Amino acid sequence: MTTHTELPAGRAPTAPGGGRTTGTPPARRRRRGAIRDRLAHFGIFAAPGVLTYACFVVAPIVLSVYYSLTNANPFRPPRRWVGLDNYTALVQDPEFLTALRVTTILTLIVVIVPNVGGLLVALLLDKRGRFYNAMRSVFFTPVILSSVVVSVIWTRLLDVDGPLNRALRALGVDDPPAWLSDPDFALYSVASIISWQMIGFCVVVYLAGLQGVPVELQEAAALDGAGPVRRFRAVTWPLLAPALTINTVVLLISAFKTYDYIKVITNGGPGAGTTATIAFNVLQTGLDGNHVGYASAMAVLMLVIVGVATAVALKILRGREVDL
Amino acid sequence: MTSVTRRKFLRGAAATLLTTAALAGCSVGPSGSGGGEAITFLTFETPNLTPAYWDAAIKRVTDKHPEIKVTKLVAPSADGRTAYAKQLLQSGQFPDVLVGVSPAGFAEAGELYAWQPDDLKDFQFPTANPIQGKYFQLPANTQTIPPIYYNKKLFQAAGVTGEPKTWDELLAAAEKLKAAGTTPFVIGGGKDGFASSMILAGIVSTDLYGDRKDWLSKRREDKVKFTDPEFVVALEKFGNLAERGYIDKNNVSRDYAATEQAFLDGQGAMYPMGNWFAASADSKQHDFEIGVFNFPTQDGKLVVPAYTGGGMIVSANAKNQSAARKFALAFQLDKEQLDQSVKADGLFPAIKGYQPPADTGPVFKAGYELYQKAVQENAVVNAFRWETADDGLLPGMADKIDAAAQDLVTGRKNAAEVATYLDAEWTKAS
Amino acid sequence: MTERLPWLRPIVALVLSALFFVPLYLVPANVFKPGDQISASPASPPWPPTLDNITAVLSRPDNLFWVSLANSVIVTAVSVVVLTVLSAMLGHYLARSRSPWATALTLVLLAGLMIPPQVILIPVTEVLKATELMATVPGLVLFNVGYYVPFGVFVFTGFIRGIPIELEEAAFLDGARRTQVFWRVVFPLLRPASASVLIFLGVWIWNDFINPLVILGPGRGTTVTTGVYRSIGQYQTDFGSVFALMFLATLPVLVFYLALQKHFVKGLTGGATKG
Repeated sequence: MTTHTELPAGRAPTAPGGGRTTGTPPARRRRRGAIRDRLAHFGIFAAPGVLTYACFVVAPIVLSVYYSLTNANPFRPPRRWVGLDNYTALVQDPEFLTALRVTTILTLIVVIVPNVGGLLVALLLDKRGRFYNAMRSVFFTPVILSSVVVSVIWTRLLDVDGPLNRALRALGVDDPPAWLSDPDFALYSVASIISWQMIGFCVVVYLAGLQGVPVELQEAAALDGAGPVRRFRAVTWPLLAPALTINTVVLLISAFKTYDYIKVITNGGPGAGTTATIAFNVLQTGLDGNHVGYASAMAVLMLVIVGVATAVALKILRGREVDL
Repeated sequence: MTSVTRRKFLRGAAATLLTTAALAGCSVGPSGSGGGEAITFLTFETPNLTPAYWDAAIKRVTDKHPEIKVTKLVAPSADGRTAYAKQLLQSGQFPDVLVGVSPAGFAEAGELYAWQPDDLKDFQFPTANPIQGKYFQLPANTQTIPPIYYNKKLFQAAGVTGEPKTWDELLAAAEKLKAAGTTPFVIGGGKDGFASSMILAGIVSTDLYGDRKDWLSKRREDKVKFTDPEFVVALEKFGNLAERGYIDKNNVSRDYAATEQAFLDGQGAMYPMGNWFAASADSKQHDFEIGVFNFPTQDGKLVVPAYTGGGMIVSANAKNQSAARKFALAFQLDKEQLDQSVKADGLFPAIKGYQPPADTGPVFKAGYELYQKAVQENAVVNAFRWETADDGLLPGMADKIDAAAQDLVTGRKNAAEVATYLDAEWTKAS
Repeated sequence: MTERLPWLRPIVALVLSALFFVPLYLVPANVFKPGDQISASPASPPWPPTLDNITAVLSRPDNLFWVSLANSVIVTAVSVVVLTVLSAMLGHYLARSRSPWATALTLVLLAGLMIPPQVILIPVTEVLKATELMATVPGLVLFNVGYYVPFGVFVFTGFIRGIPIELEEAAFLDGARRTQVFWRVVFPLLRPASASVLIFLGVWIWNDFINPLVILGPGRGTTVTTGVYRSIGQYQTDFGSVFALMFLATLPVLVFYLALQKHFVKGLTGGATKG
């Protein structure tokens, strides 16, 4: 720290300096001091974080937008400006449209399944005691595992002759599906794996929400003769609105960036792009391929889609919270 | 949470952090590269090519040339090593020497050193894989892709006598095997897409290249297309095998190692695979005899697809380029190293005057004889999908061929749709 | 409230969690089983147990596990500490500032929460190349700081808004400097928020895959996650080693979690209930 500015006594740290109309020398000095003070405050408290963010998030986004308007390709220098060509090519590219469809299906499943499952499990485990604590830990453990580890485990589990299909055969299913080889199943298998990993997150968030539901309200409703279902709909569910918001937004954002699972489990297949998300295609095209410009256009479109989807989800969900 | 437990927690967290940092400080880091002749060398690891294999190979060279200091890098996946090299180029970490990475694309962008005739004088096929008339990858070895390995026990049990030479004989054998309850062909896929497209590569190589060796060069000039009848017929032939149930479509997500294991476990009768499989066939446990025959052609004419190359490429921008070149050549010409590569990976070294060691296994020997005979009869053609130069696929297209093969196997697309898809991807890649 | 079938709930809970646990059971079942039995019977209990797989991984000649562990520990520890300090200060600045600029800045930062790493990864390599930080540990740490600072800010601003400003003002009245006030008065009050930030970012950065894969590159060795990925290729059929490596890679974060379980939940729910 280089600048120490003593604060004027009795003034809150963020209160602005002297008034505009005062032009006398002491007042000007005081104002200059206040500006210096505010700069120092910004410089010490905010600048380090803001600058790293600017360098590693904001600047790259700007660069991405720029690349998306060029034919950037390390194999084909020089870089040339192509305007919106990449975008017009993209919206006609069946590969991209497939990826869009895959991402949408995957996101819908990953937002809905852990949300519903997590809520049910949370209602089931909403009791005190060591037993229920232990159960909660079981459900939460996958959340802290690496996606690569989860992918390897499930690839083994879902193998055509893996433990799951052996169990199914033992139960009398003659021809269990090829979970990862059948193009009709692979995407749903991957979505289930992600849902399995995320469910514990939702459980914990819903449990916290449930703990915030006053017992008196429940009891009052029970006295009014409301059954468990009505009590849930009238009392509990509305009070879980903030938890629903958190879960939905977190799931939405993490579903959109699905890459690791695809890379490790299916590599985008079976066949052409049956499980390739946009996030997967961005890196396949840009890093593993060499079409940086085209990949950047994909990335920018993806960012717009995530932004709009998140904003819409937040607007709807927050609206519910206010309506209470 | 009371403030006491909070404090306790924070103290605990701080202690954990300090311990881990201290641990990190004293644990082993990768050996750095110092000195004037330092180079980086990108390898890849497979069940055949283990870390110990590479370390020993590097040491043999550095024992002879102690001035060269080698930092070994490892691609995170064997099948994706060319893609990974692109990623490293993109992120400014392109290695000095790379092995088994396709030079296509890198060479045209001026990233690679072009080997001079003098560098190539010891190689049997110095003019393999030309890119714009120059040679960027040492033509170190030849691989036949794919001969068909077969389970003699299952053939006998199904009453298949003799080795198929024509396509009809192959279909007849497959039909008998299927009737006997055996899966005729073993394929794989998943993250190792090439295991899905092996048979397709065989069909295209023998059918198309048998008559028109330069078919892909013509494709590059846009004189032919994937939607042309001759290519669609090849796709149909392949799709047909799946339709008749000779290929188990449930196996397109099985990775390469599991696929190999499935054949060794007797879960299928015929295994079309590159001749590197011979190394596993001769070393890994199995309770039947393995035979090998050339990929059958339509009319039985001898056509043997093979790829010669696979050796080192050297970065044009290597800091110590002469050391990098010296290392690459010394690595590739070392007799002991060649013997090791034969034993570990079943390669056919393409070095003048080289003879494989006498103690190789029977499957390797059988495959090597097939190849020698093809060379004598001038019947060798390129192996489709595996070419790495101007006579091959555009960079990035091999993955699309694999995906197309999977679509044919699962029945998601028919031959015409796959051909259209390939032409569209070709346009994007060019 | 009473339940009609009080025994039903624990039984359902037990059955559900047992089913849910099956995939996790595969890990210990395969780590302690001789490698050649794994493909034949992946789900059988590892009896008699063996430590062969673990020792094989720990004694690899190239030290893959130890190098990966060192990299992961350094990257995670440094990133998390720097992130906690920077985002606490930034969060405080934004929570206490009333200017419209600060509001706008908060929004820009919070937008960062939803940016997928794939969107920025290629240009990030350009930024790191330009600053000669590509393929270095500091480069990866700096990227982590930039990428995860929005999460820290999100947690800290929310928390700080709940702390009465009078505490700080009183300290100013005593003539203390701003940084002193922050470190002596405010920061100690932020412990629960700091705990969540440490814990969550710790787990995320430890488990990160694509960022270390690209940014750290091959020269510095792998992190535990990328090490697991790489070993799949080499071991392929040797699932005993793959599972052993996964087990060892997860162990630190699992211990971390079990020790601080309560704080995990607190951290999560702090965010959940305050929004």
